[in-house]
Amino acid sequence: MAEIHLTIDGRTVTVKAGATVLHAARQAGIPIPTICDHKDLNPYGACRMCIVEIEGVRGFPTSCTTPAAEGMQVRTRSPELETLRRRTLELMFSGHPNTCLVCPHREACESMRPMATKAGRTTRCGFCSNREECDLRNMALQAGGRDLNLPTLYAAHNLERDDPFMDRDYNLCILCARCWRICEKIHGKPAISIINRGRQARVGTAFHKSHVHSGCTFCGSCIDICPTGTLTDRFARWHGKADTRADSACILCPEGCSLTAHVKGGQLVATAMTAFEPDSSLCALGRFGYAQIVNAPTRLLRPTIRDNGESFSVDWDSALDAAAAGLSKHESALGILVSAAASREDRHLYHLLAQELGAKFAAIPATPAGTKPLLPKWVTGPKKSRSSALILSGDFLEDKHLAGLDFLLVIDGLPSPAQERADVLLPAALLSEAEGTFRTASGQIKDLARSSRAPGMARPEWEILWDLGQKLGLKSMAFDSLDHITAAVGEDPAPQAFADAPRHDVRTLPAFYRGHRTADLVPALEAFGLSATPRPLKQDVSIEGFQLLETRELAPNMHLLRIKAPQVAAHAKPGQFVILMAKETSERTPYTLADWDAEAGSITLILEEVGRSSRELALLKAGEVLAHVSGPLGKPFPVAKKGTVVLGGGCYGIGAILPLARALRQAGNHVLSVIEASSAYLLFWEEELRAVSDEVRVATKDGSRGAYGGVQEVFQQIVDQQPVDIFIAVGCTFMMRMVAELTKPWNVPTFVALNPIMVDGTGMCGACRVSIHGETKFACIDGPFFDAHGVDWDELACRKSAYAREEVEALPQAVDLSALMFPGAARPRCGCGR
Amino acid sequence: MHPDEAGQAIDTILSSHSREREHLIPILQDIQERMSYLSPKALRMVADHLDLSENDVYGVATFYSQFRYHPPGRHRIKVCQGTACHVRGGGLVLDAIVRKIGISPGQTSADGGFSLERVACFGSCALPPVMVVDDKVYGRMSARKAEKLLEDLE
Repeated sequence: MAEIHLTIDGRTVTVKAGATVLHAARQAGIPIPTICDHKDLNPYGACRMCIVEIEGVRGFPTSCTTPAAEGMQVRTRSPELETLRRRTLELMFSGHPNTCLVCPHREACESMRPMATKAGRTTRCGFCSNREECDLRNMALQAGGRDLNLPTLYAAHNLERDDPFMDRDYNLCILCARCWRICEKIHGKPAISIINRGRQARVGTAFHKSHVHSGCTFCGSCIDICPTGTLTDRFARWHGKADTRADSACILCPEGCSLTAHVKGGQLVATAMTAFEPDSSLCALGRFGYAQIVNAPTRLLRPTIRDNGESFSVDWDSALDAAAAGLSKHESALGILVSAAASREDRHLYHLLAQELGAKFAAIPATPAGTKPLLPKWVTGPKKSRSSALILSGDFLEDKHLAGLDFLLVIDGLPSPAQERADVLLPAALLSEAEGTFRTASGQIKDLARSSRAPGMARPEWEILWDLGQKLGLKSMAFDSLDHITAAVGEDPAPQAFADAPRHDVRTLPAFYRGHRTADLVPALEAFGLSATPRPLKQDVSIEGFQLLETRELAPNMHLLRIKAPQVAAHAKPGQFVILMAKETSERTPYTLADWDAEAGSITLILEEVGRSSRELALLKAGEVLAHVSGPLGKPFPVAKKGTVVLGGGCYGIGAILPLARALRQAGNHVLSVIEASSAYLLFWEEELRAVSDEVRVATKDGSRGAYGGVQEVFQQIVDQQPVDIFIAVGCTFMMRMVAELTKPWNVPTFVALNPIMVDGTGMCGACRVSIHGETKFACIDGPFFDAHGVDWDELACRKSAYAREEVEALPQAVDLSALMFPGAARPRCGCGR
Repeated sequence: MHPDEAGQAIDTILSSHSREREHLIPILQDIQERMSYLSPKALRMVADHLDLSENDVYGVATFYSQFRYHPPGRHRIKVCQGTACHVRGGGLVLDAIVRKIGISPGQTSADGGFSLERVACFGSCALPPVMVVDDKVYGRMSARKAEKLLEDLE
């Protein structure tokens, strides 16, 4: 191939004909910042970061779309280029929250907050599920831009959370079009496009249809190629960046597509395509269902045996002994029923066992939605012709097939009605938890990697069968290693392919895995017509609860709730809190009273959407009823005349300091209220606070309003100007800790409202235990206000994150099907649209 | 127009264009001229004809302000927001109309009486602010004059 010689920044570079200037620069090790460029995509020229100067070419061409030419003289650095790139970067970050670049406290805050908070809207790095792997931030740092001079203009697009598997927040989108380009590359006809023009331009679908109706096959490549946190895998997003990746294959249907397992701390968080190529595409189940199946909360954890109608958890040895004893006794009438969605090794060992014991054997193939596999006659036929003992690896049989069995051994990873009757139940590792090989419909043999830890005591089936073979004294089942088993499998037949591969057509997704309904394990599959096990319809319980009078999103993520609760309103005092439950089944969560009206019998709360419970509350509509409001709880703040009081509030704390400011001022104090937010657009209640304070000061982490920084910077300013008698801070643990450390040397009394995990709020459970000056206190009845200088902050931070993983797993994965069925239906806009 | 009739009309337009994607915009223009707007069904038929993604067709169409996606009202109101009209209060005229008929630019009122569009320039820059109702130009408008005009139309 012809070679081209060109000069970049004074260096001669030789590239193959057809290479772009960007390729040439990269080849020579000359860095050029770019964000829309991707190695697996065609050049596009959207982001304008890769501009260069070329001798004899007018203007500043984008190096990604300019082919290298013989004798070209290219400059990648010049004052003009630097200025242009900086402006481009500033414009890009005016449409994308940017405190992750400009906040002066980022590093200190991150050390206190190792995992991103599961917020509704990503407005800062602490709320960003993409923060550990953000191409955009990396590019900005490479381009040298931590100094941004344009404020964030929050677009206030609705969050798109009705998709079966994705969360989409187009407020983070920079329109690099990577998603649209990869969709076109993989599927030919993209399920998304760039719609509208100018400021209204965004990624979307024709007539705002849901992706279920826009031709999307849910391969997830758009998520994996998105450089920002705009497109995320709902299940995986808050688990953080995977620490291990392992190539393996999907065994859920005969296609046996290759996939890459993303694992964090031994837990499978996602499975993704092995490459951004059309042939590597995955179906919705392979891309999004795998991790949900493996992480199903109903997984079987312990070997169990049944004796006299009662079941007991036992150790493996006892369980295998019981299984072997049962099998020996019923050898003559044994049947073995397994799933074809298993490794060749598992299948082989089951088959060997059947041969050795003279048992009947059948492997139930995976089938596309709408079809049910046929069961062998020896389980469904007339009673006389049936096997009276069974080994069942999956959930294939109904009660009527199981009645009258003399012995039942179930080896499975997921619960089924059959297990109620099992004499021995052995918990099996599933999918990414066991190694082996799989033969695909095309006849290829693929390796299955063991990349994640099985839950509880679950073990790979080949290990279980191997041990069982030893217990039964079967010589043919004595192998040295898994490789030995693999070698013994020989030429097994390839399974029959589905008529239409699920990755091309969501209507053919497998409806069963090991006989379990996939829609039971991956609830969002109902969006494709796969049905879950019918559950008895819950009677509408009319709860005599607490009516939500008003709800508004004051700023992104910050919701104002006004609730009818006359008893609470009648007795509330500044500094107290309530515990709410949105539904009868909700978790109890505490919220500080931001205001109340005893006459109207209403209370006002400011809540921030940071997880499941606050989301349930935030999604309630005015007129709906909350199941419980308990309060007022906690000790009121001891309001007295002290002189000058400085209050600091951040996030929900802005609401929480309002009643304190009012009461302290009424008591004759000079009250200064200081509020902080990441950026000006996240501030709220400034006027409300001004009405009850002598002075209000503002701090933003991007300097877009007031002081640059947080409340601590403003506290310092105030102390430099005047004496202060008390400091009070309410907000995130990080902010309160910073305040505590700042004011300690000044010897000024400082109070903070601690926010540990709390359950009952009445001093019974002890979940909210905190250490103050070495003494154990309960935040619910001794607090929430404590001497900031006595708080054991490390202990508090540690206790607060004790359930971080469970909190992530508690986020709902089911979707509102009605939102998908009526695409484009007008939905109410959030109130944060300023 | 009856749905079958509409489908036939679109088919006729499509058959007069070959299947190269560069015909996309002329096809959309022809359909809009015939049907007065681009329906989801029309876009789907165009996408099939040119073997394109319906989403991409919608993406191209929404890039241009000339295309509509709802049937226009009996009276089509266009309000100029070009430079000359802008400085003489074109925004106030538009706001008054929005308040009066309760729809935003790009929408058609629920009773099908009016549709409202904002336009960048009519070329009647000597008469700002300008609005056009059913292809008749009304110059030197004010919020009050616009309201009066709408009342007369009703």
